[in-house]
Amino acid sequence: MKKLLWPGITAVLLLAYPLVFTTPFQQRLGALVLLYAIAASAWNIVGGYAGQISVGHVVFFGCGAYASLALFTHTGLPPVLGMPLGIAAAVGIAAIIGTPTLRLSGHYFSMATIAVAELARLVTTNTEFLGAAVGLSGPTVPRTWLDLSFISSVPYYYLFLAVLVITLGITWWMERSRIGFYLRAIRDSEKAARSLGARAPRVKLIAYLLSAGLTSVAGSLYALMFQFVDPESGLGILISVKMLIMAALGGAGLLFGPLVGAAILVPLEEISNSLLGGRGAGLTFVLYGAIIVLIARFRPDGILGLFQSARKAPEKHDA
Amino acid sequence: MLEATGISKVFGRLRAVDDVSAEVRQGEILGLIGPNGAGKSTFFNCLTGDLAPTTGSVRFLGEDITTRSPEARAELGLARTFQLPQTFTGMTVLENVMIGAFLRTSVTAEARERARRILDIVDMAHLAQTPAKTLGTPGRKRLEIARALATEPKLLLLDEAMAGLNPTEVRAAIDLVRVIHGMGITLVIVEHIMEVINSLADRVIVFHQGREIARGTPREVTGDPTVIEAYLGKRASRAGGRT
Repeated sequence: MKKLLWPGITAVLLLAYPLVFTTPFQQRLGALVLLYAIAASAWNIVGGYAGQISVGHVVFFGCGAYASLALFTHTGLPPVLGMPLGIAAAVGIAAIIGTPTLRLSGHYFSMATIAVAELARLVTTNTEFLGAAVGLSGPTVPRTWLDLSFISSVPYYYLFLAVLVITLGITWWMERSRIGFYLRAIRDSEKAARSLGARAPRVKLIAYLLSAGLTSVAGSLYALMFQFVDPESGLGILISVKMLIMAALGGAGLLFGPLVGAAILVPLEEISNSLLGGRGAGLTFVLYGAIIVLIARFRPDGILGLFQSARKAPEKHDA
Repeated sequence: MLEATGISKVFGRLRAVDDVSAEVRQGEILGLIGPNGAGKSTFFNCLTGDLAPTTGSVRFLGEDITTRSPEARAELGLARTFQLPQTFTGMTVLENVMIGAFLRTSVTAEARERARRILDIVDMAHLAQTPAKTLGTPGRKRLEIARALATEPKLLLLDEAMAGLNPTEVRAAIDLVRVIHGMGITLVIVEHIMEVINSLADRVIVFHQGREIARGTPREVTGDPTVIEAYLGKRASRAGGRT
């Protein structure tokens, strides 16, 4: 019973939020927190559980956002139908990137993923089909309900909440199954995990594909809400960094870590943007840099890690 | 059971292992000994698949495994421990052992059950829920063995499983190796401590500068002048010969 206490409280708070906080700013903020929580939770599967720090995850986010809006622009179909296309593209790209780069260890993997992300941004900027530097727009005026275009943020909020629940459900299932155990073992010592029979290259690749697919969903949801994507908002390196920092701040490799991180960072960023306006953009980078330094120095296992280690001790004797 | 034929391993200009052959027979305990840098650990890593030999071949249960990955060898029933314990520090003791148990089952509850049985055997059941990072060297060495056992090996290779233990802990570890041997598991042990070799090994291969210099029972090799010379230098061996 006790185990369900915190998830239960979290669920009630998340369900009630738009009913308690009723201004458009607050509701939009809530939807954004959930959107980033989805992306960061997807990142967490490969970055947190498997310990493979990808800084190129925005490629998959871009797959989702671009698939949705490119489908609409070129065929007129509702953007939401682009979601499966985005997932397919993201998983395909992940397989191509992952097979060689997951063999690299530590920083080399991170650097390779940055290179791929920047390449994708440059290619997109020069591809007319994807709107080049101008970007792609969605149906600003909804034609049918399938366009999922709403003025209020509340429908998006609940849509994102449902997807977040699915994402965390998949993560939770993975965490308790063999693949989750293998991922954590590989993170601690790949050599030992392999000696015990874990097929490390395959296990890491599966996690990477799963993570890529879910990140792409977050990208499609972003496109649904904002109805616009350009190389900066869909493929900018800052989005990768945000996923990473949110997961690390809340607790990388912990189920609710990314949600906690998103709940702290998104409001912080939105408030600083609204206070400082356009001048705030540069400050965001400074803020993120400072957070990275603080996490690395003081709490490598994130905020939730604090509670985790405090809780572990009394559990010692229950069987 | 395991045959290594003509194994050499070259790092740059260093021949760490130079044309060594060895055969492990079903049910025995084979000791690999030699001074530091003699090449026994390199040879050992060629058997486990962590290193690819420059030349030579390894056969296990009749299959050529020379180019197989460590995980494929584990699947065939070949398990190992590491000289420097590679503990999964983010997990509990039980979860560490479950990683080994997952090789033979994909069901989490089943893996947990098997891991508990292994912890009983190695006498660590009371530590099941302890975070593995809190274990000291003796606990980590024992956990290495427990994890390897959970893979249900036919052959277990122990790389200096007793290094860094005090005499009491060494005796406990020797007893554990006897228990494992009693389960019908064949063992290869790399060891520095002669007491351990004398009380456990049926046969010994002695390494020096990448080559095999002697093999036989522990009693035979410890009396061999070449072996004494390799360990203690020329003068000691002559002095030893006189007395």
